[in-house]
Amino acid sequence: MAYNAKISRVGAMTLFDLKGKQTALAGWAGEALPPFPNTPNTSASKDEMELLFIGPDHWLLHAPLGREAELETVLTPTEAPPEISIVRISDTQTFFSITGPDAEQIISIASPLDAHLSVFPENGATFTEAFGLKALILRKRDGFSLSVEQSFGDMVEDYLERAMS
Amino acid sequence: MLLIKCPFCRERSEIEFVYGGPVGPDRPDPTICTDDEWLDYLLMVPNPTGPVEERWWHAKGCGDWFTIWRSTVTHEVVDRPGDE
Amino acid sequence: MNNRLAEGGRIDRSRPLTFTFNGSRFQGYEGDTLASALLANGVALTARSFKYHRPRGIFGAGVEEPATLVELLGKDACGNRPPTTVPLRDGLSAKSVNCWPSPRFDFGAVTELFARFIPAGFYYKTFKWPNWHLFEPSIRRAAGLAAAPADPPSSGHFEARNGHTDILIAGAGPAGLMAALTAGRSGARVFLADEGNEAGGALLSRKLSVDGQTALDWVAAAVAELAGMPNVVHLQNSTVWAYREHNLLCVNELDPDHPTLLERNWRVRAKQVIVATGAIERAIVFANNDRPGVMLSSAVQTYVNRYAALPGQRAVFFTNNDSAYAAAADFAAAGGSVAAIVDSRTDVPKTAKAQAEGIEILAGSVVCDVTGRGRVKSARVSDLGGGAERFIECDLLGVSGGWSPTVHLFSQSRGTLTFDETLVAFVPDVPAQKCICAGASAGKLSLQDTLQDAADKAVAALGAAGFKAAKLVAPKAEDAPYSAEPLWRVECNAKGKAFLDIQNDVTVDDVHLAIREGYSNVEHVKRYTTGGMGIDQGKTGNINIIGTVAMQQGTALPDIGTTTFRAPYTPVSFGAISGLREGSVVLPYRHTPVTKWNHERGANMYEAGARWRRPGYFPQSGENFQEAVNRECLAVRDRVGVYDGSPLGKFELKGRDVGNYLDLLYTNIMSTLSPGNGRYGLMLSEDGLILDDGVAMRLGEHRWIVSTSTGHADAMSQHMEKVLQFDHPDWEVMITTVTSQWNNATICGPRARDVLQALGTDIDLSPDAFPFMSLRDGTVAGLPARVVRVSFTGELSFEVNVAPRHMAELWDKVMAAGAGFGIEPVGSEGSHVLRVEKGFLSLGHEVDGTVDAYDLGMGWIMSKKKPDYIGKRSVEIRRAGGSVRRELVGLLPEDPDEMIPEGAPLTPGGSKQATEGLVTACVWSVVNGRWVALALLENGHSRHGEIAHVRLRSRVIPAQVTKPVFHDPDGKRLRS
Repeated sequence: MAYNAKISRVGAMTLFDLKGKQTALAGWAGEALPPFPNTPNTSASKDEMELLFIGPDHWLLHAPLGREAELETVLTPTEAPPEISIVRISDTQTFFSITGPDAEQIISIASPLDAHLSVFPENGATFTEAFGLKALILRKRDGFSLSVEQSFGDMVEDYLERAMS
Repeated sequence: MLLIKCPFCRERSEIEFVYGGPVGPDRPDPTICTDDEWLDYLLMVPNPTGPVEERWWHAKGCGDWFTIWRSTVTHEVVDRPGDE
Repeated sequence: MNNRLAEGGRIDRSRPLTFTFNGSRFQGYEGDTLASALLANGVALTARSFKYHRPRGIFGAGVEEPATLVELLGKDACGNRPPTTVPLRDGLSAKSVNCWPSPRFDFGAVTELFARFIPAGFYYKTFKWPNWHLFEPSIRRAAGLAAAPADPPSSGHFEARNGHTDILIAGAGPAGLMAALTAGRSGARVFLADEGNEAGGALLSRKLSVDGQTALDWVAAAVAELAGMPNVVHLQNSTVWAYREHNLLCVNELDPDHPTLLERNWRVRAKQVIVATGAIERAIVFANNDRPGVMLSSAVQTYVNRYAALPGQRAVFFTNNDSAYAAAADFAAAGGSVAAIVDSRTDVPKTAKAQAEGIEILAGSVVCDVTGRGRVKSARVSDLGGGAERFIECDLLGVSGGWSPTVHLFSQSRGTLTFDETLVAFVPDVPAQKCICAGASAGKLSLQDTLQDAADKAVAALGAAGFKAAKLVAPKAEDAPYSAEPLWRVECNAKGKAFLDIQNDVTVDDVHLAIREGYSNVEHVKRYTTGGMGIDQGKTGNINIIGTVAMQQGTALPDIGTTTFRAPYTPVSFGAISGLREGSVVLPYRHTPVTKWNHERGANMYEAGARWRRPGYFPQSGENFQEAVNRECLAVRDRVGVYDGSPLGKFELKGRDVGNYLDLLYTNIMSTLSPGNGRYGLMLSEDGLILDDGVAMRLGEHRWIVSTSTGHADAMSQHMEKVLQFDHPDWEVMITTVTSQWNNATICGPRARDVLQALGTDIDLSPDAFPFMSLRDGTVAGLPARVVRVSFTGELSFEVNVAPRHMAELWDKVMAAGAGFGIEPVGSEGSHVLRVEKGFLSLGHEVDGTVDAYDLGMGWIMSKKKPDYIGKRSVEIRRAGGSVRRELVGLLPEDPDEMIPEGAPLTPGGSKQATEGLVTACVWSVVNGRWVALALLENGHSRHGEIAHVRLRSRVIPAQVTKPVFHDPDGKRLRS
């Protein structure tokens, strides 16, 4: 059986890189953000936005691209106090959506991450390796989102087409 | 391909990591140490048969630099000697 | 099909298949292997041997097959496959390897006449001058294996993927199935992989019963139950071929259920591994033990029971253990005639004899030779002492040298083995990883023991993986007990070659020779004789080599030990290992938003560091390489050019300690910069070598942006985080990679400012308001932009940074706005010329891991004020040593039209002496109308004006030593 999955290139999403102590970040922009997730490599969401806990003192705010300008106004990265870092990095990643019953199999071709539900939960969100690259993998309702450094987008599209061929 | 336990991400495949070498002595203050002390720091890399503390960077994961104790004989990741 | 039984077996007689072997057409059935189909057709002579071109037949029935290798032809061509592992399909075409024109008439067979001149180590001794590689190709042709297929398979592709499981079980024979049932019922994630085309393992070859039903009914029920468990992955045609560190196992799945996949290679990480790989029967060593018609007795049993093929009419069985008795009985029951069972043991257990009623048993006897060349005609039987010889006519000799537990995976995992005197075999001892052997691979050689052992071991493995499992009582199985006595080789006066390794033509004499010549360690014996190498890796013969060594040295087997078991267990396609990674994705590649435009413009693209594919140059019609590069360079020097500088590594830094941190990283002082300004800097590694050069810019009080060279962006990220996280975790510095957040078009040349004005910007571009080495945020051509005044060309230069989503638009607008000023796109070749004309250093050219900043004439960048920065102390120590340094200079070849190859050595006077330097770059300078070069030359700084000499193989090029700058030495243009 060929794989029963659908792959589409989503392109850029709104991404803000947030670093610093959680209390300091919450103090600066807490009301604009979803609640901070408690468990490493999970996300919490609010109003189509997701806050991903992807490293020690390190979060990503992830939202549709259309929200970027509004969030920039709220977060005001250039005004943020010295103990926190907020950087707009929407253009650094390009996103692919992988959905359907065999989506997990496509992830297993791309990445050594164990994406089994018992290990990588409903709100799983982590950086890992995919096709030799650093990649962000998020579990979505009907599959996964996979994103890589934007300049590698064409190559990963090439790989995903090969995986589905 | 080792299985390496990142303090933040838990067990992940070695392919996500960059090796950072064994942990040697702390960097001496270069303004006061002797040449020999400096060269020892630079060049004397621990290379035991058995457990060694080594640095790993979770380059494709959370970006954390951390250390593990690994047996150079069996690859087994072990507790820091003395810890029970 | 004269040897096909009328009924029975696991073949589907309703699905006949036609195939071709060595040009002749035959018929077999679905369920056959190529080997079983050949035997059913009465084809006994199937191959010629590797070295002596002796006639060979089929010896085994599975992966252990040492005697015959075939080459598959056609769309999925593949060399060196044992026919016992090739499933028959319609239209299959195969031929024997290593014989021409056919195994029956093989010209290479003359080799055997010279056999005594080509003993073990012959190649090492003979073909050593001037070197082995001179002889290797012709030897490979003569003694050899099939050639690699010329083309990739055309009917599909390969895949590699990752798997994760709680329990991995290797083998779906009785032990594997029992373990899988136990584990599956516990709810654990189970990965069960088996090399066969159906589950059952040895049960497929034997006639046994379990719980009152046939064993195969029990197998079918187990498989059905496993199929209903969502937590179980059960794969057939899937060999676990490697056991790596930390319980990573490689599993090669052949012919997966997918229309275009040829093979799928799994890398499975398991919490616990259960090795249930069974056991492999061993050959017996006697004269001419390689003749077609000599076959493992278990293989005879397999062909009869599983494939309904009678591999001979009249058989003799020769054994040192009990298992051959059941094989003889099954052969007789299928209509074959058994002339005798020859047993080397003087006391044959009653339970063994009982299985072979009516068959003559010659206890305390051995087969010491066979007659017949293309096929066995008779077995020469004597008693153990060598007396009472007789010839027994037969066309099949089933041999059983006892059973070796298949410990390959366990041993690959670095588990140790111990010699079991009762089983006369090496068995698993102490595991090194989370691994446990069950069933025959653990030395349980009867079915009842195997089933109970597997159930118990599965419970233990599950417990270790954190699962509670109910202990299962294994079903009741009927099987005779097993016992064996050692018989490493038959000692008698027979003349013929006695083979220890049939595949590599290694004989007892070869091993004796190796020992005589000092290669007495078993690993040395292996390498000197090649015994145990090859496709089969000595699965049937290694133990006899060890036994032969032990006998010769008068020691015991445990003292000799085994050779190391290494992956792969059976051969694996290279394609399966690389998976999807072929064709356009063999190497990773990166694009910028301008890549498409570059292609359309006809750029010659190649990789330029960090996997970026960049334009080398943009040839116009009729232009050659040099003309195109010259045109691009002249545009920058005279008018204006633009290049895509997007790949440059970029990092944004934030925090109160960034200034101090940058002062530690860079050799010069950064902390004194005011917002909006930047500085060029060098970073060293702690041993004082140059790691990278780049620019640090201050965006605000606590915000900075640092750029690095393209190729070193990842290495710099690693270095910066390491210094921060290990040495200064208390410093308030946060680093964010923004390499791909900013793309840039770098507009350079005397008219660059005009182009920027024409694009339209709200930034004051006057030199006073926006000086060299500063940056301004604003808009350019209506796009949000950050403009930076840096220069890698030596000309007035504006790096216009925008978000990648705007880059293609910016690029088009720059080309349009610049058209009136004669703008040209510049490739990496032109950029190289421009930087060499200025003497700007390039990592990998002038900076090669030996030079420091002083050597480059950049002592000014090594801060005297700072007490410490990374690498400072090491540079001081090295320079205090006072050794001669190679220093950066310019070179002007005396003949301005003479090009010097990059990397060419400089020697004193051009004579044949030790080099005193090398040429790091040489380009045609458009501003000077001549070739100019950069070089590292001993004491070069004090040798300006001298003539240095480039020594080439064919000639010497004299060149004048100059300052390493050929254009605008004061840098007025870049500051303009």
